[in-house]
Amino acid sequence: MAKQLNLWPARMDVLQSLTGLLLVMFIWGHMFFESSILLGKDAMLWVTRMFEGAHVLDKPYPILVSGAVAAVFLLIAVHAILALRKFPSSYSQYHNLHRHIGAMRHADTTLWYVQVITGFAMFFLASTHLFVVFVQPDNIGPYASSDRIWSGRFWILYVLLLISVHLHAGVGMYRLAMKWWPFKAQTAPLARQRLKLAMWCVIGFFLVLGSASLLTYMKIGYDHADRAGERYKPVSSSTGQAGH
Amino acid sequence: MQIIYTDVLVIGGGLAGQRAAIGAKRRGHDVIVLSLVPAKRSHSSAAQGGMQASLGNCLGAAGDNEDIHFTDTVRGSDWGADQQVVRMFAHTAPKAIRELTAWGVPWNRVQRGDHEITVNGEKQTVTEADAAHGLITSRNFGGTQKWRACYVSDGTGHAMLYTMSNQAIAENIPVHERMEAMALIHEDGRCCGAIVRNLMTGELLAYVAKATCIATGGFGRIYRVSTNAVINEGMGAAIALETGIATLGNMEAIQFHPTGISPAGILVTEGCRGDGGLLLDAREHRFMPDYEAEKAELASRDVVSRRMEEHIAAGHGVQSRFGEHLWLDIRLLGKQHINTNLREVKEICQYFLGIDPVTQLIPVRPAQHYSMGGVRTNHRGESPQLRGLFSAGESACWDMHGFNRLGGNSVAETVVAGMIVGETMADFCDSPSGALNISTALVEKFGRHQQQLLSGISDTGGSESAFELLRLMQETMTGNVGIFRHGERLQEAVTTLQSLQQRSQHIRLRSSAAGANPELVAAYRVQRMLKLAQCVAYGALQRTESRGAHFRADYPQRNDLEWMRRTLARWPDDNAMQPTLEYEALDIMNMEIPPGWRGYGAKDYIEHPDTARRQQQIDSVLQRMEGANRHTQQETLMPFKHLLPPHLRGNNQRLGDEQ
Amino acid sequence: MKQIPVKQLARTLHIQILRHNPCDPQSEPRLQTFELEEADAMTLFIALSDIRENQDPSLQFDFVCRAGICGSCGMIINGRPGLACRTLTKDLPDRITLAPLPAFELIGDLSVNTGKWMRGMSEQLETWVHSQGLEQTSIDSLETTMEPELAEQLYELERCIECGCCIAACGTAQMREDFVGAVGLNQITRFQLDPRDERSDADYYQLVGDDSGVFGCMTLLGCEDMCPKQLPLATQIAFLRRRMASV
Ligand SMILES: Cc1cc2nc3c(=O)[nH]c(=O)nc-3n(C[C@H](O)[C@H](O)[C@H](O)COP(=O)(O)OP(=O)(O)OC[C@H]3O[C@@H](n4cnc5c(N)ncnc54)[C@H](O)[C@@H]3O)c2cc1C
Ligand code: HEM
Ligand code: HEM
Ligand code: SF4
Ligand code: F3S
Ligand code: FES
Repeated sequence: MAKQLNLWPARMDVLQSLTGLLLVMFIWGHMFFESSILLGKDAMLWVTRMFEGAHVLDKPYPILVSGAVAAVFLLIAVHAILALRKFPSSYSQYHNLHRHIGAMRHADTTLWYVQVITGFAMFFLASTHLFVVFVQPDNIGPYASSDRIWSGRFWILYVLLLISVHLHAGVGMYRLAMKWWPFKAQTAPLARQRLKLAMWCVIGFFLVLGSASLLTYMKIGYDHADRAGERYKPVSSSTGQAGH
Repeated sequence: MQIIYTDVLVIGGGLAGQRAAIGAKRRGHDVIVLSLVPAKRSHSSAAQGGMQASLGNCLGAAGDNEDIHFTDTVRGSDWGADQQVVRMFAHTAPKAIRELTAWGVPWNRVQRGDHEITVNGEKQTVTEADAAHGLITSRNFGGTQKWRACYVSDGTGHAMLYTMSNQAIAENIPVHERMEAMALIHEDGRCCGAIVRNLMTGELLAYVAKATCIATGGFGRIYRVSTNAVINEGMGAAIALETGIATLGNMEAIQFHPTGISPAGILVTEGCRGDGGLLLDAREHRFMPDYEAEKAELASRDVVSRRMEEHIAAGHGVQSRFGEHLWLDIRLLGKQHINTNLREVKEICQYFLGIDPVTQLIPVRPAQHYSMGGVRTNHRGESPQLRGLFSAGESACWDMHGFNRLGGNSVAETVVAGMIVGETMADFCDSPSGALNISTALVEKFGRHQQQLLSGISDTGGSESAFELLRLMQETMTGNVGIFRHGERLQEAVTTLQSLQQRSQHIRLRSSAAGANPELVAAYRVQRMLKLAQCVAYGALQRTESRGAHFRADYPQRNDLEWMRRTLARWPDDNAMQPTLEYEALDIMNMEIPPGWRGYGAKDYIEHPDTARRQQQIDSVLQRMEGANRHTQQETLMPFKHLLPPHLRGNNQRLGDEQ
Repeated sequence: MKQIPVKQLARTLHIQILRHNPCDPQSEPRLQTFELEEADAMTLFIALSDIRENQDPSLQFDFVCRAGICGSCGMIINGRPGLACRTLTKDLPDRITLAPLPAFELIGDLSVNTGKWMRGMSEQLETWVHSQGLEQTSIDSLETTMEPELAEQLYELERCIECGCCIAACGTAQMREDFVGAVGLNQITRFQLDPRDERSDADYYQLVGDDSGVFGCMTLLGCEDMCPKQLPLATQIAFLRRRMASV
């Protein structure tokens, strides 16, 4: 090869997918942890403590959470910058695309549009959320979170974020599979059908899970509204420390 | 008027045109290809079944060689072909296929081991040899002794044309798409380019070239029911005819393909029958063996088509809302085979008939398919009358098909002829006679003439519709100049066509749209198509015998005594209402195979005294040469290699030959 | 298939066509509706020819093979790209909207210059077998062998008819003019698979290793779903992406 290859396009493509994949893994995990509230306040507290390192270290260090937030934020930033390259960049591009999607009524193209819109929305929603947990890492817990959600009206943000992120993540995973997976030509159409089904199931599952926990937080927050700001005390404290 | 200069102008971007262009380009000449449509959309892409070349790799082809290919082709032509040309062709076809292989055509290959095949409606197992594994395989086609049609599933023409076009792109050959040659520029018997109309803007331009090659394909659209593309209107042949100098050969020799789907006329390949498919009638009875005991479905096309029409006439056709038809049955080949080797057929059945050929019968009826005739050339592809004019492919009457072409011989011809004519044109450009001294005044004169013709059409003040005339012409041709021909019907056709031609002088255009104006296109084309149609009908009327695809119910015998000759049609001048016909003798005394029985079809024919004489001559030569190898024997009987470009003269290697 | 179906009352089709003639400075894009009696086994080829012959002789469209094999007649049929010649009107509602394929240069009405686009793509991606000494290969001796399955695989990829439907169906191609689309990417995989082509992955990377090539594809899969030849485009693009990402 006489000419030096420019490997950046390849790297960026891989990186975009990789950051997307990591983010999805993160968010799915995040949903389970954060839904621990469904198992009770104690469970949620335990999980919170875990992230603060209380189970291995001598006491909780909320700063660990801030660290994690920073890392996730970085991932999102990289991912978003890479993905932004794919956004329509001029009015005429946007116009063509819009007409195209409207006329074709093609599921996968429309889903991509959904990703663009949800991605765009998350730009603001996720940033806000991350900012809050970043600056107040100690303000997470059965009551702290519930108060923020109910008394602090954060449920509005979370409803939007919940829908956005799971549509985006579910579709993203489906797209990742179609983008990279070595299906055989003969079996690919069937595999694709199944993946699509799986995608909707996963999205549905997380939306249900997320809504349930969100409602739980709201309920706790509602009940706790007059004492908002007070921290939760575990019923049977294994650590013996006051909760958030 | 813009004038574009080039060494070689190739009119037509099909297989023939592009191969000729590549040849001339490789010899260092500037080449421009013109095409009505993007080159890859040319009708060569529609060829499904295969390309004949005697490679002899698979079991069914074992022992095949040029000699057998030659014999099959001559018999197929009903001795109407130029035997030297057939020799050149059969000799070069394996080279053509090997060249295409190197360029990238994914020919189907021989798979070693056991295979199940379908012969005569029965399953058999054959075992392919280890040594042949991975070499190009071939399938059975009508009218041949060996399995000789090399194929790429059933998209042979598509794969060939894409490879060819890509090669032309690699060679940097410009293809001027959506350009229609409207007239040949010529002076003193020397052709020097063409007046061309841009089909996007309507603008006229001139292309001036030392050598001009017509490779414009067939003219099936003069018929109502045809397997041909809608652009196959014969404009190349027509502009040659309109010079009044160049001639068209054997225009009455029109092939009808047995299996056009009914009613659309879209072709399903001969490969269906080659692979074991059967023809059934209304009672689902396999009728071909009743007529042709030995070859049955695989007799040559003219014979099968005639038998089918005969069978329908005898009341065995299937009634449908579109008229009568017969059935093609490929169910017995099995799903696997249909899905891999006959997928285009499957798609066509699915989309145009709404049926699945794996489980259902395909309605078929013979349809116009191929024109053996065309611009008459000598063995090197040059017009004998108009210097600097060449022709290759279906548009030419190079005359290797005579009165009936064998399936698979046509795409083979396009490439072989392209290989030869490309060289011929390069030689011509290199020679002193290639030099061109042409005044722009002459070019302008031809340009102005076309301009006048076009504006003439726009204001004839008449009332005729171009589309209507086209339809009437097509119906006349299909009705009166079809598979079975008869003097009275032909006379009727000639009269009708003449009156249509008269009427075509009074076309009224309803639209004056800027740009190409499709109505104007239809108008000037129908005028020219009518001239071609007249050459066909008039030629058929005059030829009072039956030969190959030309079947006269009133003269059912082949008549070698009077008709060992090729028809040459000429259009004397612009105002003429009829072609003039001349005849060119085919000399039996120079033939390698004197006329005889084809091995299928009717056995009775009127013999020429030369036949016996020549046969005697041949016998004695062969006797004298007993023991000599087949090449030497052949060379003695009818030498042909000197006619080929030097690099195409080598012997073809085959499996089992010494290196 | 045996019995002759009872003829039903013919429908009247309302065919709405997006018309525009760029050669005519007066012409503005507009929708025009034609009414037409539906006939048995009518395809859009038959319907459009009928309109041209009997209603508006200036209507422009492209048909060549009228059998679904040449790729000339791609157009937008009720919003989606497809081959008009093999679209039966009976499969469509009685209101049919036809528009030219977007992303290609308009010649007039339904006719677009796919040929020019495809030639440009071929030149850009060098879609031919690259092999040293091609001209010296002896055409007298036996051809080199190839595994039968490989030959079949190659043909599978070569069935593309360059109709342009995948470009019209691709959101990326609507936004980026230089995107080579599924048609181009598929052709690269065809040559990549072909042992006769001596190019290395690095060579292919030079041709498609950027956003006008494989990394521009956002896996929208319109191409795969609308390709009239049902080529395995998604699989091929994924394959190429993996190869190019690991150059
Ligand atoms: C349905 C079908 C199936 C077939 N199957 C087989 C088969 O299996 N095996 C076989 O051997 N043969 C087959 N044939 C026959 C064979 O395909 C053709 O005879 C052959 O491909 C013709 O090639 P060509 O290059 O001469 O012309 P074409 O491929 O027809 O090309 C003609 C070219 O000329 C251009 N042109 C025409 N007029 C003008 C003009 N006035 N100005 C500028 N350009 C012009 C066109 O645009 C086109 O590019 C089949 C034919 C048909 C119709
Ligand atoms: C907040 C900013 C975000 C923006 C602007 C954004 C935008 C996008 C866009 C436009 C795409 C499509 C890119 C393409 O098809 O080439 C995309 C893909 C993807 N996104 Fe996001 N996204 C964001 C956040 C997220 C988050 C939080 C996740 C995880 C939950 C995520 C997961 C994915 C995945 C898995 C893909 C598919 C990756 C690929 O196609 O390579 N994204 N994103
Ligand atoms: C390390 C980073 C993160 C931490 C520590 C974190 C923490 C939390 C916590 C504690 C909650 C409970 C509500 C609250 O206390 O406000 C929550 C809810 C939520 N988070 Fe995060 N989060 C992180 C990153 C993200 C990201 C990147 C997203 C998506 C882009 C996200 C989406 C959500 C959503 C949708 C909810 C509401 C869940 C529900 O409906 O039940 N979070 N997060
Ligand atoms: S890939 Fe399919 S849709 Fe695209 S041009 Fe080829 S045949 Fe048409
Ligand atoms: S639709 Fe376009 S974005 Fe890719 S998967 Fe097909 S090329
Ligand atoms: S006209 Fe050839 S594909 Fe439709």
